[in-house]
Order: sequence, then C-alpha cells, then structure tokens
Amino acid sequence: MFKKILVANRGEIAVRIIRSCRELNIQTVAVFSDADRHGLHVRYADEAYHLGPSKASESYLRSEKILEIAQKCGADAIHPGYGFLAERADFSQACQDQGISFIGPKPSAISAMGDKQIARETVSKAGVPVVPGTEGQGDLTDKALLKIAPEIGFPLLIKPSAGGGGKGMREVANIKEMPGLLTASRREAESSFGDGNIYLEKLIQGARHIEIQILADQHGNVLHLGERECSIQRRHQKLLEEAPSPFIGDDQALRDKMGEVAVQAARAVNYINAGTIEFLVNANKEYYFLEMNTRLQVEHPVTEAVTGIDIVKEQIRIAAGLSLQHKQEDIILKGWAMECRINAEDPFRDFMPSTGLITQSILPAGPGIRIDTGVYSGFEISPYYDALISKLIVHEETREETITRMKRALDEYRVLGIRTNIPFHQALLENTDFLAGEFNTQFIQDGNLPVSDTPMDQSLPEIAALTAVLATHKRTQRSAVSMQRGRRDTSNWKWINRWERTKE
Amino acid sequence: MTSEIYFAEVEGKEYQIEILSETRVVINGASHEIDYQPLKKHSSCSLLVDGKSFEPNTYQENGGWEIILTGKRFNVLVEDERERRLRLAAGESTLQEGRYILKSPMPGLVIDIPVKVGDQVMEGQVLLILESMKMQNELTAPRDGKIARIQAKVNDNVERKQTLLIME
Repeated sequence: MFKKILVANRGEIAVRIIRSCRELNIQTVAVFSDADRHGLHVRYADEAYHLGPSKASESYLRSEKILEIAQKCGADAIHPGYGFLAERADFSQACQDQGISFIGPKPSAISAMGDKQIARETVSKAGVPVVPGTEGQGDLTDKALLKIAPEIGFPLLIKPSAGGGGKGMREVANIKEMPGLLTASRREAESSFGDGNIYLEKLIQGARHIEIQILADQHGNVLHLGERECSIQRRHQKLLEEAPSPFIGDDQALRDKMGEVAVQAARAVNYINAGTIEFLVNANKEYYFLEMNTRLQVEHPVTEAVTGIDIVKEQIRIAAGLSLQHKQEDIILKGWAMECRINAEDPFRDFMPSTGLITQSILPAGPGIRIDTGVYSGFEISPYYDALISKLIVHEETREETITRMKRALDEYRVLGIRTNIPFHQALLENTDFLAGEFNTQFIQDGNLPVSDTPMDQSLPEIAALTAVLATHKRTQRSAVSMQRGRRDTSNWKWINRWERTKE
Repeated sequence: MTSEIYFAEVEGKEYQIEILSETRVVINGASHEIDYQPLKKHSSCSLLVDGKSFEPNTYQENGGWEIILTGKRFNVLVEDERERRLRLAAGESTLQEGRYILKSPMPGLVIDIPVKVGDQVMEGQVLLILESMKMQNELTAPRDGKIARIQAKVNDNVERKQTLLIME
C-alpha cells in the first residue's frame, strides 16, 4: 500500500480524497494556488505546497511542478480528483515515467476515451449503441460540419472532442443559427481544454441521462455499482443526482443489461480503476453510449451511499495493485440516495456566479446527511474555479423519504455572504413532476426556476414586508444616531447601546 | 422611541407597517409582538413574530430590498411617510429612458466585445462575453439603443460593478 499520496486538486474533492487516505493510514500532501492558501484541503493535509498564481493554468494544471513536488516530498502516488489533470493522458504517462502511481486509468485508456470521437468509434465496435453523429470522421471544418448537419437532422448538439462538464456544448435548432454557435463552441472549448475541435451529435429529445459506475482492477476483474440518474441539468451541468434511477426503478433486467454493456465498454479499452459510462435513455428504454468519464465523478457519493462502498478507497487499492474486494453478486443497492450540488450562483439572476467572503456557514446535520465541502465561514470564494462549494448528500429507505430528508437538510443549510442555488433545489423538490420521477435532461430550461407546486404560506409576503421595513428602520436609526453622536445626549447613548446589543 | 409608519409594497400588495416599539408593530391595523435580531454583516436576521420564527436573508438591490424567505424571493419597496408625501407631490416618476450603464455583475475576464462604439443594438443582443468560474456569460442589451462608450478591452480582468460599456 502507498505511504504518501499527493492530491493534485482543490476544494471539496481534495478534502474528500484526503479523508479516505487518512482512514487508510496514508500520509497526504496538498497543493494550492495563491487563492487557496486558506483552503480546507491545505488545512487538512499532512503537508501542503504552493503551486503558483490563482489561474488554473499557472497552478493546478502545472503537471511538471506537481510532479516535482511529489518527488521532493516523497509521495508514491498522485490522486488527480476530477477536472484539472484528471483526464490528461500525458500526465498519467509522466507519473508512470517518474515511477509515481497515478490513481486512475492507464494513459492509453484515457486517450481512447478522452477524445469523445475516438471513444464513440471504439465502443461502437465493441457492440455498444451510440448516439448518431459525426463519429469516425475525424476533425471537421465548420464548412464540412454545416454540410453534414442536415443529414444528422436537427435539433443537434455541438460538442467539444476534449473535456466535459458541458463546457463548449451548444444546442442547435436549425441551420441558420449554426455558424454562430460553432464559433462560440470552438471558442469555449479552446479556452477550457486548449483544444477547439468539435463534433456533432443528434439531440435525443426527452432523453434521460443515466450513468453506470464501474470499478476495474489490474487483474482483469470489472464490476459495476449500479446506476445514477443525472437528468436534472442546466446548460449540461448536473445539479441533482440520485441513485437508483426513478426511471429504471425496479426494472432489474434493464439495470443488469446496462451494467453489462458498461462493463463491456470498459473492457474495450482495457480500463483500470474507477470510471463512469454515461448513457442517454429514451422513453422506450433504448439506451445510447454518451461518453466515458475516466475519473472519479462529482456525484460518486450517491453510489457510495446505496452500495456502502468507499469508491476513493477502492481507487487507491486498485492503483496499489490489490484485487477488487467485491464480486458482482455482492453489489446490492440499499435504500435511496440523492445529492444536491450547492453552487455559488444566484438562481434569481440567471445563475450568475457569486463570489466573495462567506460570512457564515451552518451545515445541515443529523441522521442520513453527508456534506462534502472545501469551504467554511471566513473563506473567500474566488472567480478562478468552478462554482461548486459543497455537495449535500442524503440517504433514506425510499425516494419519498429521501426527498423529505433533503428538504429538511436544505432548510437547515445557512450560507451568508454569497448567493447560492439552495432556493433552486428547494423549488425543485416541490415540483410535482420531479416528485413523480417524470423528468428528462430538458426539464430545467435555461434561466427558469422549477415551478414549486406547493401552495405558498400566505403569511410569507407579509413577513417579507415586515423584514424589509425593520431593516430600513434600523438603517435610518443608525445614521440618525451617528449624526448626533457629538452631542453627548444620554438618550443617544442609550440608542447606541441598544444597537450595539442587536449586533450579533 | 417615537412611532414610525412605513409603507411596503410586495408583489403588488401594499402593507402599512407602524413600528410602535422594539417589540411591537402594527401591520395593516393588526398588532404583533416581534423580536428582531439582525445578524450584522450577515445580510440576514432572526425574526420572531408572535412566537413564530423566521430567518429571512436581506439584500439591498436596485433601491429596494430583496428578501429570501424559505427559499422564496420577495422584492420589497419601502418608503416612510415623508418619502411617500414627496413622491406623491412630484407625481409618479416615469422609468428613465436615458443612459444604460452595463456594469460587470461579477469579477471575470473579458472574452469578447462583439459591438463597437456607434453601433445600433437591439434588445437581447450580446454586448460582451465575460468568463467567470470557468463559464462564459453573455451580457445582453436590456433594450434597443446605441453604444456610446466602451470602457473595457478583450482580455481585461474586471472587478464586480466595474463599468464596461455605456448605451444611450
């Protein structure tokens, strides 16, 4: 087993990985940028080293600097988390060359799955159904793409060959708007992944996004840990995930079949370590391979909750050369789990990112609640990295009970100083279609909050009015007091005293 | 403490709220016992109204208040008696049609400015693309108009509330 692991990431995922390392009695090394000196991962790790300026390209993406730190501090493995260097074949290769274990797949598997076009070709050959598109045609020019588009048919999706997370992705309704969207997509892909290549894919309407978690060791054992439903997305960014999927429900045959196909896709690239096969599933329960994420997923905790397996520990064991501890028949999904991604975004202003100092953070707790976060009260949210500040995961017996528990947890959650998307989740959990499990990837339309179907407590507008009046009154009184401060009037002193008392 | 009367408008409905003391208010004629504890700098407060406990978030936005209560948003306009008198004397002011100043809604990097000074733009047209938290955000024109000035360049790092562009 490893003695010391360097975590080449930041935020909640770095903290998450450090936790598993500690439980395995492995020393941890954090790396940080200027903006993250006060990050929780730096405070929790046994050692921490500075990488450079805040911009990711000058810090978390500097693979040579990270390897240099790993060598210097004697780390025998590197966990890349998700994003940054996690899906970079050259980084996996560089680790291997320097005799440091990369906790993830081999460079060949990352390349094969990392280029979305090659991935589609590979799994298609292995008998896995893929969404029709421009796979197998290489990198095409805008002119060529415009020519092929009508053959695929509208609506369609423009997707970057590299990367993921919805960045650079554009939905195209007709040929007229396509040139502008091609430009925008290439621009965003270039700035996010340093690769402006794009391809087209048919947009499967009304489809659900369902993915299968797999684990594969170095001894040829591959197993799947069931599915996750990730259809609640905005601009192709997942917001809420659950396991199992309410769509698959008790259709065990479909679950088994998709699991087998996922294992098949992983085997097609000799996959090792944890990975996820994403599928689009239409209303007829026909499923299509979307892509494979060759890394730990943001939403892995919902699978951990229902299977009882610590996926990060499994990743570490696999990288250390151990065999999988479980067999497929041991994997039984127990209860229901749901994750809400809490983002520093204002749901009332088109999900505009919100930065600044977190002045107060009170986390929900109690039965069945898990929080993965890298921030705390007094931490400054910078504009340099993604908006995810925490993941709220709850586990219960049934979906209904899970939702009730999630509502309770969201009510308890207090974050002040920045805006968060908590109100979005609260509205979503009161939407009858969501409650009935009837939704697809188009459920959340851009900029719209889900419609809350619970009648509002009629006293709320009045309480809001009262709050605004009291806040106004307090402000006026305060300015009046400060204007008269010089007069040494006893009643003024009383006032100041009174207002001092009301401060926290 | 002298009693003070305020008028608050929420969702088209008006509330007359009289503050009698620190612990008593009258809302549209009905008396309530309150305990108001602002959390300083926290843009929030703990508010007890006749024993019922609330914890609204309070933000000052565009001359009014934005109150978030149990995940729901309420925009509240508040005025005291004097302000109300002045407003009624001056007559209802119409929405100003003058200049529109596009300010950066967040810190970020200017990716593109697809307009130039003198351009006629239409409502909804993209004025500037700003990258923040790895997402590109399109800032659009709130109405038709003409670009009067551009005060940012591509690749500029801009601060929140920095003026980017002026329309007239």
